[in-house]
Amino acid sequence: MTLVLSRRGLFLSTAALAALQFLPRSASAQSGGRITVAADSEPAQLNPAIAASNGVFYISSKVIEPLAEASYDEAGLRPLLATGWEGAEDGLSITFKLREGVTWHDGTPFTSADVAFSALQVWKPLQNIGRTLFANLTAVETPDAHTAVFRFSAPTPLQLIAKALPVVSSVLPKHIYDGSEIAENPANRALIGTGPFVWGDYKPGEYYLLKRNPAYWQPDLPLAEELVFRVLPDRAAAAGSLEAGEVQLAAFSSVPLVELDRIGKVPGLTVITKGYEALTYQLVVEINHRNAHLANLKVRQAIAHAIDRQFVLDTIFLGYAAKATGPVPANDPTFYTPDVTTYAFDPEKAKALLDEAGFPADASGKRFALRLLPAPYFNETRQFGDYLRQALAAVGIDATIVANDSAAHQKAVYTDHDFDLAVAPPVFRADPAISTTNLVRSGIPAGVNFSNQGGYVNPELDSLIDTALTTLDPAARVALYHRFQQLVTADLPLINVVDWSFTSVASDKLGNIANNPRWAVSNWADLTLGT
Amino acid sequence: MAGLLKRPEALAGGAVLLALALIALAAPLLSPGDPLAIAGKPLILPLTDAAHPLGTDRLGRDLLAGLIHGARTSMTVGLLVAVVALSAGMIVGTVAGLAGGWTEAVLMRLVEAFQIVPGFLLALALVSVAGPSLAGVVLAIALGAWTGPARLARSRVLALRESEFVAAARVLGLHPAEIAFRQIMPLALPPVLSLTAIIVAGAILTEAALSFLGLGNPNVVTWGGMIAEGRNQLRSAAWLSIIPGLALVITVVSTYLVGEALTDSLTERRPR
Repeated sequence: MTLVLSRRGLFLSTAALAALQFLPRSASAQSGGRITVAADSEPAQLNPAIAASNGVFYISSKVIEPLAEASYDEAGLRPLLATGWEGAEDGLSITFKLREGVTWHDGTPFTSADVAFSALQVWKPLQNIGRTLFANLTAVETPDAHTAVFRFSAPTPLQLIAKALPVVSSVLPKHIYDGSEIAENPANRALIGTGPFVWGDYKPGEYYLLKRNPAYWQPDLPLAEELVFRVLPDRAAAAGSLEAGEVQLAAFSSVPLVELDRIGKVPGLTVITKGYEALTYQLVVEINHRNAHLANLKVRQAIAHAIDRQFVLDTIFLGYAAKATGPVPANDPTFYTPDVTTYAFDPEKAKALLDEAGFPADASGKRFALRLLPAPYFNETRQFGDYLRQALAAVGIDATIVANDSAAHQKAVYTDHDFDLAVAPPVFRADPAISTTNLVRSGIPAGVNFSNQGGYVNPELDSLIDTALTTLDPAARVALYHRFQQLVTADLPLINVVDWSFTSVASDKLGNIANNPRWAVSNWADLTLGT
Repeated sequence: MAGLLKRPEALAGGAVLLALALIALAAPLLSPGDPLAIAGKPLILPLTDAAHPLGTDRLGRDLLAGLIHGARTSMTVGLLVAVVALSAGMIVGTVAGLAGGWTEAVLMRLVEAFQIVPGFLLALALVSVAGPSLAGVVLAIALGAWTGPARLARSRVLALRESEFVAAARVLGLHPAEIAFRQIMPLALPPVLSLTAIIVAGAILTEAALSFLGLGNPNVVTWGGMIAEGRNQLRSAAWLSIIPGLALVITVVSTYLVGEALTDSLTERRPR
């Protein structure tokens, strides 16, 4: 299936192409003009402080800013809403100095109260990543309007928090959210932030429109007058729209890999692999351990042995990926260890393991049936779903693919647990504690996307994750995360297949692109459209 | 039926349909195993490898196997839709025509209500809600296809119900249901049956369109699904879309040709 249509948006999407032409044209003549980029999904809600995921960031990061953004320079971080941060010796507090003269889009000044509110009311209790990262956060003191002191009940490594800032620290306006049901607040759809662009409009199935924030705190920025995220769920359409000049950018590999060779030669378009360094994606088989078959370690090992990683790498990713050995990608300079249990492609061994587990093949060669839910976000996750079904059939597991749109997929897997196997593309974000340990830590309530919703419980792994979270010594942390990788690969709460990054295809007219390691999900204040 | 044989285009169409039906029936023999299985190297060009005469797709799935098993899906859906739509249409049309009065008014307004909604949108909506099972898809497409038969059946019944044999049956004291379904319906059937081919062809196209939009069953090969799959590589591997596309065109054209001839012979219309 190439075309993933949001089922609810289906009727609208046909009208989308026509309707887009009726957007007001007024801004196109001004400096910077209107920049139109392809968007391939429409997240159910857009609040980045609650859902720290790249699908949400892609749009919301232009409106709502974090305390700091990733950067190519030595420090690895560029201050945004915070101008500086300092950790206490004992690891029990971190002091943030906040930027002065920043206002929210509705004119209210940005203060430390907003940061304290976001941290305690949103990041810690509601956010998929903040839940574990800020588990020990007890208080945020605000000695003055531009200082916030985070108090922790257990030692918390500054290095970890700093690395996580671009992802976890999207600040929400307290005056809008305070006293309301945060997850239901209308501002989750019509965003209010401090960023270079203000919320314009959203037409489901058609486009998101963001407009220049004239009162942005960085002088003379942003350069673009308007940003239009044109919803193009169809990958083939993204390539065509680029060639026709209707969109100037397709990020996150939304142009199919097979088309890159050809489109790179089209005059005026460039294929760019930079700008995704801090966004390594992991192709993962999520496992529902509530399923009696899958609760058996031998079955999980058999599935790991049934997957031909070389085939996945060569055929699905056309070489734009690397084989994964475990939950930390090999390109991570700090935490990766190759000293883990590995599972070579070996269907015979897989069959033997399934026999041992007590699931012999019947007359037709089948052992048991499973439901397989490939995440619809990427071509590659869907194709891997098709591949996995065949790979499992080869060892006698009869998998039925259940195809859903994004919203239905997330509900089925992360809220209703209505799956046996799922294909997921979680992100590795520079430190395992940011979003990787979540995938296996137990005790995460239902409804938290991109977390352990497979019902996997391993007290040893849980306590290791908790210990690492409060270990200040960098070398000791690395050792703990080596152990983490060994435990995960031995017990297989999930199966890592390959790690990959993205490509963008951009018009040569765009200036200042791919200039930080999370560029696609950064604020694009300096993005410009030349002539 | 004799008229059918005199028309070479109908004969050709019929021959193609017969061949397709045989292929669909014999699919498990012609191409054993799962047609979605990865059978060889990815993207083998057609006519270059004896093991995969029509080549392979992006993952190395055999295109010929997909085509053969896809015929099965298309044919099954086409025929089942025709059966469901014709039966529903005949029953509603006959009842409406005979009963008259309020019953007729209500039934025919219902028919019109379905008629004004584009059949494809109706199918889309239903499949989105009910999920992509075979029964769901058949029902969804039939929902947009039963109105034609219903209107035709009613008009025939209206003409027939004033006939003398119906009056005679009434005098004999036959139950109205017996008159409707044993006396009148068989006579009203031929013109309605002539719609079969058009319904089948429409259903095959609609099913392909649903699969193309990703609303088909991902565990079953369909021509529409194959075209959609190939569309990503339309510029670099066009045959992936063209081959199942041609199969679809040939099937639908053949069905229409047979349908034309059927209409002429069943309604005793002079060939144009």
